[in-house]
Amino acid sequence: MTDPLERLTNLVALLLETRTPLTLDRIAHELRGQYPASDPARRTAFERDKRQLRDEGVPLEQTVLGGDQAGATGYWIDRSRYALPELGLTVEEARALRLAVAAVHLGADWGGDALLKIDASGDLDADAASVGSAAVADLPALAELPTLFQANTDRAIVTFGYRGRTRRLEAYGILARAGFWYVIGLDRDAGEVRTYRVDRIEGAVEVGPARAYEIPEGFDPAASFPADAMMVGEGEVVSASVLVRSRQVPSVVEALGDAAVVERREGGDIVVTVPYANRWAFRSWLLGLVDDAEVLEPPDLREEVVAWLEALAPSG
Amino acid sequence: MTGAAPGPTGATARRGPEPAAVRLRRLLILLPWLMERGEVPVAAAAARFGVTREQLIRDVELAAMCGLPPYVDEMLDLFVDQDVIYAGVPRLFTRPLRLTAREAFSLLAAGRAALELPGADVGGPLARALDKVSVALGSDPVLKVDVPRPRFLDTIQGAVRDHRRLVITYFTASRGERAERTVDPVAVVTERGNWYLQAFDHGAEEARWFRVDRIEALTVTDEPATADLAPADRAPDWLLRFADATVVRLRVPTSAGWVAERYPVLSVEPDGADHLRLELPVVSVRWLERLLLRLGAEATVVSPAEWRDVGRQAARRVLDAYG
Repeated sequence: MTDPLERLTNLVALLLETRTPLTLDRIAHELRGQYPASDPARRTAFERDKRQLRDEGVPLEQTVLGGDQAGATGYWIDRSRYALPELGLTVEEARALRLAVAAVHLGADWGGDALLKIDASGDLDADAASVGSAAVADLPALAELPTLFQANTDRAIVTFGYRGRTRRLEAYGILARAGFWYVIGLDRDAGEVRTYRVDRIEGAVEVGPARAYEIPEGFDPAASFPADAMMVGEGEVVSASVLVRSRQVPSVVEALGDAAVVERREGGDIVVTVPYANRWAFRSWLLGLVDDAEVLEPPDLREEVVAWLEALAPSG
Repeated sequence: MTGAAPGPTGATARRGPEPAAVRLRRLLILLPWLMERGEVPVAAAAARFGVTREQLIRDVELAAMCGLPPYVDEMLDLFVDQDVIYAGVPRLFTRPLRLTAREAFSLLAAGRAALELPGADVGGPLARALDKVSVALGSDPVLKVDVPRPRFLDTIQGAVRDHRRLVITYFTASRGERAERTVDPVAVVTERGNWYLQAFDHGAEEARWFRVDRIEALTVTDEPATADLAPADRAPDWLLRFADATVVRLRVPTSAGWVAERYPVLSVEPDGADHLRLELPVVSVRWLERLLLRLGAEATVVSPAEWRDVGRQAARRVLDAYG
């Protein structure tokens, strides 16, 4: 049996060099016995090769032919899109990219593959030692990310399931924040900019044609929703007044800032003002402090927290 | 990936025959690289691509049989002799295949994240390299990695670089304790939105991980850091950190599915139509208290039996504070 890599390599070479689209019959003839002699085995083998090449990013094009081959499908590889353009990286720039890829873990080594392509002259191992003293980041890798990224680069509309509904999104940007990936963009059905957590996307992401929209000038995904979970919400912003007991004071002040402190009591307790738009996130923060925090104002919030706790610990 | 060459999709780690797609991916990068060089020792090529000598020779010899019909003279000009690969007249695969979506995404994400790390030079070579990569992609992708910058991060990063001993005041949230510790810092790592310091703790006489945002005070001493500890190249392994944890089984409403996204749960199973059963490692009762208070009355501890009342007792204690 011939090595499947041989047929794939010859197929890429043939379709790169051809000046006209080639039908499967012609391809099988040119490749001399590398495909099964007849259908359906030949068609099955070719379909598998086609899928593999496209999965690997080879721009394999197809078109329905006219003339004496009317109705048949012709195939070719777009040479202008096949090759990696010369990036013209300086030695210093290439090294900076190597260090970045070494310092940021994405769960899969796709970045390493990219370096092999763009950094033909670099010694990929030489810098590994210097990474040891650098800061290192770990980001989750999700299968949807390359697709969303490509769609964003091409300005192609993406369609995906989310909380049981189909969403059509002009993906303006992709953001990694606090261990999660988000895609932010204009939801075509809702008619407004929305944010979706990528790990909550249901099923496959479908990609529409390129250049379907434009991204607003200067769009910053990091500014599209607040980094503070307590401020992410539909509701109006409420300011709570919270007593924090001395033990937790340093970490609370570190998180909220000195400006949040409205009162310093004897013994080290403080009162802070905490603005929030998301009741759930506020409660989560508050209860995380257990008995080192107590809501003072507003009264309805205090009652709500007491009711929540009483449900957990019914009296009597 | 420290130590090992970045091989395409971890080819070296794979058991059994390599899939043709993985070999093709490598070949389309390898061929132009060989043609540009003319001659390359087999060992050097194998190391760069993260494969064995045998795998490399097999693929090069196979490529030498490939070319254009009628497969006589329009062949790839390659041969292997005495552990050296010779590439003659460059033809056909003279440029590597363009970046795939996966590769372009990874490169940009890694680069943009690295620009947010302490010590990054925002106008420097990395930023310029990323601009060039973006240009090559056709249009500018909008991708941002938001990295938190706790107060002492840059100072700690400097101490790691300069091998200086630190004295830190650290708050252990799981026990509600604060203590001063003398540590030798070896690495700072960010994961899930938090920064961690890996250091040798001279009081405990062992390596420890510290959350950087829980360091309340810090002094860089004049002492050199002397601990002989290999720097981690990734965040603390959750399971390792929970090596002496108690496994707690919880029954929670499905709306509490966020627990499984936030914490390293061991298992998640549906329990009826609107509940889940979670198993998660818990290192301290105080941590469990905080979780149960947030989950509310609908969540229950299934086991261990002695912790079934933890949530109720914590709620009672907080209510007492409310008076």
